[in-house]
Amino acid sequence: MLELIVPLLNATVQSGTPILYATLGEMMTEKGGVLNLGVEGIMSFSALAAFVTTFTTGSATLGFLAGGCAGLFLAFIHGFVCISCLGNQVVSGLALTILGLGLTRFLGTPYIGLPCEGFEKAAFPILSSIPVMGDILFKQDALVYVSYVVPVLFWFFFKRTSLGMAMESVGEYPAAAAAAGLKPILLRYSAVLGGGFLIGLGGAYLSLAYTHLWTNGLSGGRGWIAVALVIFAFWRPGRAVVGAYLFGGVMAFQLRLQASGTNIPSSILLALPYALTIIALVFSACRRKHSDMPAALGTNIEPEG
Amino acid sequence: MSTCDFIRPARKPLTENEVPVVRLVGVTKRFGKVVANNNINLDLYPGRIKALLGENGAGKSTMMSMLAGRYKPDEGHIEIDGKVMDFSSSKEAINAGIGMVYQHFMLVESMTVAQNVLLGQTGGFFINPKEMEKRVGELAGRFGLDVAPGARVCDLSMGEKQRVEILKLLYRDSRILIFDEPTAVLTPEETIRLFEALWKMAEQGKSIVFISHKLEEVLALADDIAILRRGVIEGEVDPDCVESKADLACRMVGKEVILEIDRAPMESGKPVLEVRNLSGMGLNEVDFEVRQGEIVALVGVAGNGQKPLVESICGLRKPPRDTIVIGGKPWRRFFAESTWKRSLSYIPEDRLGLATLRECDMVDNILLTTRKGFAIGPWLDKKRASTETVGLVEKFDIRPGRIQALAWQLSGGNLQKAVLARELYREPVLIVAEQPTQGLDISATEEVWKRLLEVRAMAGILLVTGDLNEALQLADRIAVIYNGRILGMLPTSDKATPDKIGPLMAGIVEEAAV
Repeated sequence: MLELIVPLLNATVQSGTPILYATLGEMMTEKGGVLNLGVEGIMSFSALAAFVTTFTTGSATLGFLAGGCAGLFLAFIHGFVCISCLGNQVVSGLALTILGLGLTRFLGTPYIGLPCEGFEKAAFPILSSIPVMGDILFKQDALVYVSYVVPVLFWFFFKRTSLGMAMESVGEYPAAAAAAGLKPILLRYSAVLGGGFLIGLGGAYLSLAYTHLWTNGLSGGRGWIAVALVIFAFWRPGRAVVGAYLFGGVMAFQLRLQASGTNIPSSILLALPYALTIIALVFSACRRKHSDMPAALGTNIEPEG
Repeated sequence: MSTCDFIRPARKPLTENEVPVVRLVGVTKRFGKVVANNNINLDLYPGRIKALLGENGAGKSTMMSMLAGRYKPDEGHIEIDGKVMDFSSSKEAINAGIGMVYQHFMLVESMTVAQNVLLGQTGGFFINPKEMEKRVGELAGRFGLDVAPGARVCDLSMGEKQRVEILKLLYRDSRILIFDEPTAVLTPEETIRLFEALWKMAEQGKSIVFISHKLEEVLALADDIAILRRGVIEGEVDPDCVESKADLACRMVGKEVILEIDRAPMESGKPVLEVRNLSGMGLNEVDFEVRQGEIVALVGVAGNGQKPLVESICGLRKPPRDTIVIGGKPWRRFFAESTWKRSLSYIPEDRLGLATLRECDMVDNILLTTRKGFAIGPWLDKKRASTETVGLVEKFDIRPGRIQALAWQLSGGNLQKAVLARELYREPVLIVAEQPTQGLDISATEEVWKRLLEVRAMAGILLVTGDLNEALQLADRIAVIYNGRILGMLPTSDKATPDKIGPLMAGIVEEAAV
């Protein structure tokens, strides 16, 4: 039994990691008061950016950062439209998804089927020798190890730094932030850009560590799941970790199930994560009172007068 | 809020050699043609509480917004410590030590008290919640502002939220604290605690401005009182030298006649509104009637129960059973069988909100309450509505004369005329007019008055007003409301009436009874 479960959980962590990055990115954006529905497009585009960078330079680390920067770039478009031009956040986000997916398909065609180096699994010294836990958590690639630290930093940033506190205040009540002498516009930009960078890292993980190979449709709906997970997580990083691995688990499980040759139609198995998304959203809607939803989420800061 | 049963510290007399920390010198502010503040001179001293007393729309908020850096004065200037200041933003005013507690709190609900106080003031990059809460707790203790620094703001009462706002100002070392109607949101106990905190702040050298229209609060709290009326400082009084609350009330509301109109007497007919022993919702045994052909004015200082009374008559709130009878029908039956014509017309104070839709044109706004008159089955006869609107625009001289004009494009006077045109088109039997001429210029006021007097032929009118002159000019009888209770029903034909109103508005029954 254990030899069946441990590889499954190991795969769970691996497929949960890109979702975790994207969820935290979207959470940061939303904590600043901006809704970014372009996660799917950003992930897809940054996966390509990361792949191309690694493919041409041979450096996986450089590719990873390039993914983040690609996310930053697309998020900036969203930020400019919503924060500076006061555009509708939902429309801009949806347009960003279409743009990101379209650009990826257009620019990525020459690379289809090509492999790249990326990140290989490497046992973490000492910790990997812990029985079971070591096998699940510490026989992964470097990006997974990084992802263990990110939620902690995320929590620390919002709870223990003045910049995080200021960022949260513009997501809650920008007028109060302005009254306190802060710069709400600048703070919202930093939330959108920071969030975009994290989402981009999630995209980079897909092409550099998850597949090592370029194909179309790599993001495969993970961006949408991330958007839903932010709600499921009540805007708290701890719950985001749980949510991301839950979805990673379902994704890994349905892949295994398909491979084992069951007679359940594959289309039903493929739909499993999305069915879970709906269940998760219903669940969080029922317990909405406990959520930390930013009060000013989705509303733009209208200039005075 | 009728009693203030607490001990206030002894008033300090103002000595000759004290230097004002803030001086407003000849400050004038205009909004278009309206002069909101006219040649205001005001001195604020450290360690003293200055009350700014005035009716709604007297210009109190405009004046303080200039001090807080939100508006620039058109004429005159503001001095702080003898230096002429020219604020171009509220931030500059804050840096100069001026802090304002607004009626709407500027607080992040999901954050703790300490986080709110220190927002933007933390200094370093890393923050330590424990340390923040300790600092805020110390500050709160020093000024007697009891609030748990670790509590989330959304869990606090209004009074506690206000204390957080005050703490924000104190943390920024504000020397001049302005409170805009701070007691409006507070319970009586919380009000007393606020006053105690204010005295403590004054003791420590803060200069405090207390804006209010509640007489007894001002008398109980302030070291100096400045009365503001129609944008002018009417006078500065020492609370110890105030002869009576009535005197203060009269000076606040004013008695001089600005506009006169001939009121032909009219036979009064059947009662169209009977209010019987209505209590609850802040009202106390309200009992009166309005007959067809007469105007009954309801006067009083704002916030003494006018709002719940009007709202329950007009169907916005449900009064207890058998307390209100409109046009001979009990309230419930009247609103169940309500027709668009020969019914109740409400002319609300909030013209561009409750009375009209700002983004809709004249025709749609006219249709708001007359819709049933233009209905053909489920359809609306918009063509006929347009022609009728054209007729009304002409008849009431509403400018600009285009029926395509949107509500927000009309001036206050024309918008009010449009509302009046619509409501009179319904040929009502009862009209409830709430501050119908507030903010209007003289000619528009006269026009509105004329219409109201004309319409007595078919309706009874309940006129809710804060303008005594308006009440005396239009009404047959004046009901004075104080603290939810109608203290007197005075006929305007009686020569003594104008002098009786002041004391009643201040809640002094004995004097009036003599």
